[in-house]
This record gives sequence, structure tokens and C-alpha cells, in this order.
Amino acid sequence: MSVDPVRLEIFKNLFHSVAEEMGAALRRSAFSPNIKERRDYSCAVFDAAGEVLAMGDHMPVHLGSMPMSVTAALHALRLDPGDVALLNDPYAGGTHLPDLTMVMPVYAAGTSRPLFYIANRAHHADIGGANAGSMGMSREIFQEGLRVPPVKIMQRGRVAQDVMSLILANVRTAREREGDLTAQIAACRIGERRLLEMASKYGKRDVISYGRHLLDYSARMMAATLEAIPNGIYRAEDFLDDDGVTPERQRIAVALRIRGKTAEVDFAGSAPQCSGSVNAVEAITWSAVFYVFRCLLDEQVPATSGLMRSIHVTAPAGTIVNARPPAAVAGGNVETSQRIVDTLLRALSRAIPSRIPAASQGTMNNLSFGGIDSRRVPGKPFAYYETIAGGTGGGPGSPGTSATQSHMTNTLNTPTEVLEHAYPVRVRRYALRGGSAGEGQFSGGDGILREIEFLSDVQAGILSDRRELPPYGLSGGKPGKSGKNELIVEGRTQKLPSKCTFYVPAGAVIRIETPGGGGWGLASANKQRGKRKSPKAPSP
Amino acid sequence: MRIAFDTGGTFTDCVYLRDRRIEILKIPSNPRNPAEAISNALAQITHGSREVSPLDLACGTTVGTNALLQRQGGRVALVTTAGFEDILEIGRQARTKLYNLFVEKQAPLVPRERRFGLAERLDSEGHPLLSPPPNEIARTVRAVVRSGAESVAICFLFSFVNPEHEQAIGRALSKVGLQVSVSHQILPEHREFERTSTTVVNAYLVPVMSKYLAEIERSAAVTSRRASLRTSGARVRIMQSSGGILSARAAAREPVRTILSGPAGGILGAQYVAELAGIERIITFDMGGTSTDVALMEGGRSEALATTSETIVSDVPVAVPMLDIHTVGAGGGSIARYDRAGALRVGPESAGADPGPICYGRGEKPTVTDANLVLGRIPESGLLGGAFQLDVHRARELMDRERGPAWSVEKFAQGIVDVANAVMEKAIRVISVERGHDPRDYTLVAFGGAGALHACDLAAALDIPRVLVPCMPGALSALGILRADVTKDLSRTIRLKIRSASGTRPALDLEFAKLQREGLKRMRAEGFPSSGVQIERALDMRYSGQSFELMVPDSRGYVAAFHRAHEQRYGYADRARPCEVVNVRARFTGRTPKPHLPKLKPGGARARGALISQSLAWFAGRRVATPIYDREKLLAGNRIAGPAIVMEYSATTLISPRWAGRVDSYGNILLEPRR
Repeated sequence: MSVDPVRLEIFKNLFHSVAEEMGAALRRSAFSPNIKERRDYSCAVFDAAGEVLAMGDHMPVHLGSMPMSVTAALHALRLDPGDVALLNDPYAGGTHLPDLTMVMPVYAAGTSRPLFYIANRAHHADIGGANAGSMGMSREIFQEGLRVPPVKIMQRGRVAQDVMSLILANVRTAREREGDLTAQIAACRIGERRLLEMASKYGKRDVISYGRHLLDYSARMMAATLEAIPNGIYRAEDFLDDDGVTPERQRIAVALRIRGKTAEVDFAGSAPQCSGSVNAVEAITWSAVFYVFRCLLDEQVPATSGLMRSIHVTAPAGTIVNARPPAAVAGGNVETSQRIVDTLLRALSRAIPSRIPAASQGTMNNLSFGGIDSRRVPGKPFAYYETIAGGTGGGPGSPGTSATQSHMTNTLNTPTEVLEHAYPVRVRRYALRGGSAGEGQFSGGDGILREIEFLSDVQAGILSDRRELPPYGLSGGKPGKSGKNELIVEGRTQKLPSKCTFYVPAGAVIRIETPGGGGWGLASANKQRGKRKSPKAPSP
Repeated sequence: MRIAFDTGGTFTDCVYLRDRRIEILKIPSNPRNPAEAISNALAQITHGSREVSPLDLACGTTVGTNALLQRQGGRVALVTTAGFEDILEIGRQARTKLYNLFVEKQAPLVPRERRFGLAERLDSEGHPLLSPPPNEIARTVRAVVRSGAESVAICFLFSFVNPEHEQAIGRALSKVGLQVSVSHQILPEHREFERTSTTVVNAYLVPVMSKYLAEIERSAAVTSRRASLRTSGARVRIMQSSGGILSARAAAREPVRTILSGPAGGILGAQYVAELAGIERIITFDMGGTSTDVALMEGGRSEALATTSETIVSDVPVAVPMLDIHTVGAGGGSIARYDRAGALRVGPESAGADPGPICYGRGEKPTVTDANLVLGRIPESGLLGGAFQLDVHRARELMDRERGPAWSVEKFAQGIVDVANAVMEKAIRVISVERGHDPRDYTLVAFGGAGALHACDLAAALDIPRVLVPCMPGALSALGILRADVTKDLSRTIRLKIRSASGTRPALDLEFAKLQREGLKRMRAEGFPSSGVQIERALDMRYSGQSFELMVPDSRGYVAAFHRAHEQRYGYADRARPCEVVNVRARFTGRTPKPHLPKLKPGGARARGALISQSLAWFAGRRVATPIYDREKLLAGNRIAGPAIVMEYSATTLISPRWAGRVDSYGNILLEPRR
């Protein structure tokens, strides 16, 4: 059958809109601010072989790794009509424990095999373990929370109450978790309904074959993009400040080999897996590589698995980029993933310097806290999680932007009016951090200054990086300013490490200053020409 | 005397009733003074008229949109809670494009040096933690005055629960003569960034809009005096983005509600004619001189006017209810040029009405209109039924200089039309295919001065099976505005937990009674006695703990209705979970008299009586004999095979070679591909 370019475009948009619609349903019916306000979730559509056909424009760190969840679920379970698998085990298709992923097969009436799979992943504000918010300091995965291998949360259209109660018994805020899980199930059903409508409207055969055409089309686009990069081996390294346990730098090394229409990305030489939680499982590393190469393509190219056909990733087992059990992994997802991107972009800047910007903040500034809300009688348990934006890097042709989420995350903030209504905290300041951007011909963007006062006793945790080694500049641009964490108790300010967990009484204030983006090009180039801003970035 | 205006970038359209007949007048717009065209039109309409009834004007306007798009609003200062001065610049922290390494953000409407924090704070229940000390208020007022701002936006945290602090600084700023936009009045809903952004947009538009409306009111007064019309009961009303009209005075205070004013009129007009033609699912395609608006309607009256509160105009969130409309910067007056890489680009720069396209006699840069003229798709005798001659020789001569690598002027012209069509096609894809709607299930309703010229090409590209060219395609927005009702939407955030449907009833009734008092008062000011006002009550509900609400009509069984709505929308309902009413809403509608389109005289299938002349037009690189018809003379039942051109006062319809049209009983032309 020949491929009709108009239909290809229509199916591309249809599959994409299924993923987007699932996301909208999840956001609108969820209960925790992290999902409903910050949109820390992702949805995707897969073909019968588990290849991604479409992803919503959600969280890059989730998206590249979702195929592993589908594979793991299918490996462990037989999914019948009306079944939904649930998992979070980083060593079996997950990424880190708070990310709960659901996988659902889509059967047409009368078929014995699924036409498609759909999946969604949402970051829950708590999944148990030693620390409220499940993002604190740990040395092994058993301390990080409840580990769920692929299990059936729905069986033949009914919620598996035994599984549900097992989960709810292990988390701090059971009622909220139940609501969010129900919203995830509902989002699966919306996706199922839309795909079946598509199949009945256009015919099963066309819907399936155009899914395949989309994969081929993405693969061709990526091949053409790789071909335009000069052949060669490009190496780079970058570091995490520490692992939160020892003060040692954690090295990420990459050798990128471009040969014709293919790329090999080899992380040999990266640090061995560490004692703290900044270990990434292979799925995360894969996600980061997917993200970087996706950025080299035009916006219109569909983000399918086809993109990765000609890219080969090698991540040696037992390293910080492919950790093995029982390593703790909460921070690998959020911090190491950002550093992998920084490293790979640095390597690419050697191949195509005119298309790569300086480093963005390179951390997610994860803040989590929980306790008992003493504003209510009887006190109500709560757990909250957020990430804070920073500066992005300047690039050839355009300055960076301030207070913007970069690379592997794109979560929104929680509005102060929602945060204070839901939790015993008061936001004292939420402002741009002036002077934090790296100077350059095109300067970076500024970070953020955020102060939160606790109104109840809490257990809190920070998982951050770029507190010592700042985001790099490129082509002579200056680095951005590194970040800072401080705690103010009874008027006394103390510096906090980049990664820590602590108990503080009501009245304590936490102050976080996030890094600025690196600059690009020599700042003196501006003075010579006597102007600050320049035309837009070159299109890819 | 009821007159509707639609001010576009190129023309101002007027539709009015004379001796119970609907009349149209088209006047060139003056972008530097948008009210001028209205004043000229009023003079023409009333000249020699025996009418004495007071002027009753309804206006659709792009004054607000253009000011926002071109960043030409007023000089605004913003007063926030201290510590939150940067809220406008931080936004929601997210970037708009996920896979773009070169993130870009537009500069905020208010720069850092005009954002002021006031020492004040409320908690989430609205209790004051820090009341703004009088000396701090005085200091802030001085700082605002020193900044040279002409208009001020005020947005404090939790002001939707307790407006006292906003009111205090608002009074102080008004006293020194500043125009003040206060967040709890503009949008009394939670989420501080969206509320701040909406309030700032309002403040940004107040100076521009006040000036424009004052001009209109002045020319209305002058006209009334000159034409000795009665003045008691004279009114000026403005179309809102939500599809209802409102007094000029209210619009001057809250211009943020008029951002999509003109396009909203087009949708009302399109919906009306589609209904007459018995068609439900439509894609509206309103191609004017400088921009094109498209929207999609699923069918059914109530759903058709669905509004969204999540509109983003020119990168700025505007959270007041608006019809869901997508706009692109290309129209008949869009300028064509080769970019540095040698690609032919059309728009967003427009020749507007002044200097206008080359063929209007003054412009020097080729536009889409010039291209259509060179291709013979617009007759030389011009757009306005002969009253406005077009200079085809000038167009050919100047376009020849600009044609670049194209071998001939015609090739260049065809290229311009193709590129313009591609831009339109993409706009329609955004609202149809990209949202999961298949264009093959819809009818394209083409209007605006240039819509019906491009409709066949576009429909063919998108596989749209049918095009409806309404009667008066060049003045459909004005017709929609003429038929619009006066509406006022009021809402209030109450966040009320529900114990039982009947137990919470008295509390709800109390809230509705408050809204009703306020709404009826405002409708009286609009000239509607309480007995003539229709009130629709609705509740925004959610399960306690959720963040997004579902709107359900207020009824005795509202709780059950909410569970049903949740089940329908999200696939489940949890009847054991407590739910809450977040907002109470009431829409007050005052019905205006509706002029109806007259039926056309029936005729046979042959349209020979309307034939004006034969001409030659270019299609697919060949010159083809193309008859020209006069739309005024077409009769119901007439059929016309393409290629053909139908001329009329306000627009030109092009029927492509493989298409055919028939005239329905209201004079609408339905186009379909020939089999």
C-alpha cells in the first residue's frame, strides 16, 4: 500500500491528540498539586509491538523511557481486555519509585490480540519509605519507598482492591494517592476510547499501517539529521557535585561517534554506581539521549520510537548511568538525567557548534516535605513535592531565558494560592535571582530565589546539584552562578548541602537560589558592536 | 436606529436596517484612528434619512487585539504583594516548546522598573496577616506616579477571597487620577499568575480602548445632532469575546473582555446562516485584509458557543471566557516577499488600507489581492461592485519588478496565492486535525472580504466536501454583531463544601441572590427591565482536592448532575467522595430584536439572468474562459458550474474549475466538487 502524505499527517496528529487528551483528563481529575497543577505526568500511545507511536508534550525524562515499562509489563503479565498493569520498579521498567506507570492494552471487539497499548506515568507526591515525599537521602532502594513490580491494578475492568489496599497502606497520604491512581486509570480509559473510535472510523488496517508508516517516517528524518553532522568521534565529560553521601565528584563521560546516518553513544568511563541516590537506571540514560537527538529535529517530526532506530546507546552496567540493584535511584531520574544531557550537548557542540547552547541550570532543585497539618483538628498528614526552575543557557544567536524549566523537565509551578490553601506553608518570596546569569555575547538566563516558611513541624528534603560546579559557558561565554540552599531557624541562617534530609520546627524558612544559565560567546563581542540582543536562533 | 460595525484592519463594515431591509456599507479603516471610519459611516447612513429614532450602535473591534499583538498598549505599572513582583515574568516556569534548545520568552508587558511590591499579606482564608500601612500605600502611590504609568494593574495574593487590600490601594491610586484595573474585579478566581496576567492585559488596553470608545460616543452625538435624531435611549455597545454585547462604558473599564470582539461577531453570523442552511458542523474561515480567523463548531446551538478560559493571545494568558478562535497573520492585504533563503513568504506584514495593495493605487509591495487580480480571479471592476476601480496595469508592472526567479508575473502571482493558501490550511489543521476532528465531516463557511476567493482551493486541500458562502460574506461579522444579545457574565469563587444537595441549597441560593441583584442592576443600566432579562445559573463543581471544575447547570439535582458529568468526561464517578462548589455563575441575557434575512425569489437552475460578462482567469497555469455573475441578481435554485466568479458589493466568490455552486432560498451559495 502506498503512503498518502495527507493521511500520514492526519494520523500523526490523531495519535498525538490521543496522548494529549489522556494528559488533559489526568490533569483535570487528579488530586495532588504535583499532578494537577505542576503536570508532572506523561502519556503515550504504543503499537502492538510496544513501539511508541505518539507522546504528549509532557515530561522528557518520562517519555523516552516509557517503552521499557510496556516491555516489562508484557514480559511479566498477560494483559487481557480490561486489565491495567501498574509498576514503579526502576529495575523492571520504572525510573524512580514516585513515578507510577500504568500500561493498558487496547483490544477491538472480537480480536484476540491488542491493537495498541497506552501508558501513562505520574509522579506521586509520596510512595512511602524513610522520607516524606520519597525523594530524600537513601543508600539503597529499600529505603526509598514501596517497590511495585508489574502487577494488575485493574482486572477485567474492575479495580483490584487487594493491590490497591496494599499500596495505600504503605503511603503517607492514602486518600490522595487513591484519587490520583483513579485519575490515571480514567486517563487510560479515555485513551482506549479514542483509539477504538479511530479504528472504527478509519478501519483497523489503516490505523495500524499508518502507525508503522509514522515510525518509518521518524526514522528517515533522524537518519537525514545524523547524516548532516560531520563524521567523527566527539568526547565530553561533566560532573555531579557529589552523591550526597561522600563529597566526591561523580563523573559522566561520553564518546559520541557519528558515522553516516548512524550515531553511537557510549558512556564508558562514567563513575561507578554511588552510595547515594543519584544513580540512573538505563531507561533514564536512554531518555536523556532520546531528548537530545529529538531536539536536533524540526518540531513537526513525530516523537516515535522510530527516531532511535539509528542511534545505539552503550551504558556499562554498574555505573551511575546504568545502576544495578539495590542502588538508590531517586536522584538519578531528576539530577543525573540533566547532567547526561549537559555532557552529550557538550560533545555535540564540538560537532555542530552553531546549533548548541551553553549549559542550562542542570538541576531540578527538588524540594519535598511532609508532616502533620496542625491547622486542622485532628491533624491531617500531608506530603508535597516540587521542582524549581532556573536559567537556561545562551546560544549562538539568542540569549537564555530566566526562570524557565529546561531539558528533562517541564513542570509548572504550584500557584502560591493553591499551595497555601492545601498545605501548612507560606511562600515569603518568589523572585528572579538577579545577577545569576552567565555573561556572554548571548548571556544566560537568571535563576529563581524562593523562600518558603513552614507552619507545621516538617521533615524536608532537598535533592539538588550545580551547587559547586556551575553550568558551563560555551565559545568564551562565562558560566552561570551555581545555586545555594539555606535554612533560617529563629533568625539564624545556615547553609545546607546540595542533597540532604532534615527535620525543622514550625516557623523555619527554607531559601533556595537556583543556578543561572551559562553564557555563549565572548561578552566583549557585544561591547564592540554596542548592542546586547541579537536576532533569533537559527532554526534546526 | 440600529447599526452594527465591524472594524477590521483594512475595512470597517456596517450593517443596518433601512425600511426593514438589511443594508451594508463598507468604509476604508484608518488604523491610526479606528473611530474615524465609524464617524464617516454614520454621516453617510444618516444623510438624507428620515429616520428619527435614537442611534443604537453595536461595534466589533480589533483595537484591543492589535494593541496587544503589536505591543502598542498603554504604559502600565503593576502593584503586587511584596516579594512577588516578578510573578509576571516567572509565569508558570514551563517553556512552550519541549524540544527546542533555544527557548524564547517574550518580554513581559510591564518591565521590572514599573513593578512595585506593597507590604501586605492575606492568608489563604482571606485573613489579614499584614494590613498595608497607610505610609506604605502613600509611598507606593508616589512610586507609581514617578514611573510615568498611565494605567495601573493591582493583583494581591488571595484577593479573590478578601478584596480589602486591593480596594485600599485602588482607591489611593484612583485619587491621583490613574486608571486602575483591580484583579478581584476583572477575574475573581484563584491562581495568581493567570489573574495577574489578565489584569495587566486589561490595564494595558484601558488607555487605547477608552480613547477609541470616547471617539465613537462623540461621533454618535455629533451625528445625532446633525441628523436631528432623538438622543434619549441612544447607546453604544461593544461586542465581547464571549459572544454577547455590552455597553461602551463597561467595555472601557474591562477591555480585556473585547480581545476577540470582531471574530466573535463572525462566528455568530456564520452560525446563523449555517442554521438557515440546515448545517450543523462548521469550520468558519474569516479571511480579512490583515488576518484570518478560524474556528470549529461541533453543532447544536449551546455547544456551538462553547467558551474557553485558557486563551493565550500573543504569548499572554488571558483567562476571561472567550470563544475558541485561532488567528493567523495573513489576509488579502498581506505582503509577499522573498526571504533571505530565497523562499517566498506571505505576511504577517500587511499593506492594510493605507497604502493598501498596489492595485488600489498607492501601495508598492505585492499583496495577495494583487496576485488574485493578476490571475483574473478578482475582476478589474473591483471589489465593491464597481464603486472602487482596481488598477491591474499598475499591479502587473510593479509585481514584475518583484517577481524574482518566477518566469512570469502570473507564475509569481500563483506562487503568492499558493503560499497564502498553505498558511490558511495550516490554521485550519490546528483547530481540526490537531484536535482530533476530521475536516471531511465539516462544512467550510467562508467569509470576510477574501474568504470566498480562497475557499475552493482550501477545501480541496483539506478534503472538505462542502463550502458555504453566506449571503453578505464581506459583512457577516457585522451581521452577527447586529443580531447579538446583551449579555453579562458574573461569577464568584465560594469554595463551598457540600454536605447534601438540599442542605447546601440555602447557602447557594443566598450566593445566587447576590449575583442576581448585581446582574439585574447592571442589566437595568443596559436598558433592560428585570422582567426582560433571562438568567442562566450554573455551578463550577469538583471533588474536594481536585483543581479543575466541571460546569453544571444549577438545578435541584445538581450533585447527581455533577457525578454524571464527571463520569461522562473522565469515565468514572465516586459518589462517596465529598464534592464542592468552587464558583457560582450567572449569565444575564437581554434579548435584542433580531432582523431576519429575507428569502430570495425562486428561479430556475440556469443563472443566465445574473451573467455580467465573460473574462479570462488563470487556473493551474492555464488561461480559462470564466463567466462573471452578479450576486444581487442570482435567484434561489440557480446553479453555476466552475470556473466562475460571483461579484457583489462586499466580496468576490471564486468557483474553481472542478466545483459547482447552487443558490439556496436565503441567497447562500453552497459549493461542492463536481462529480
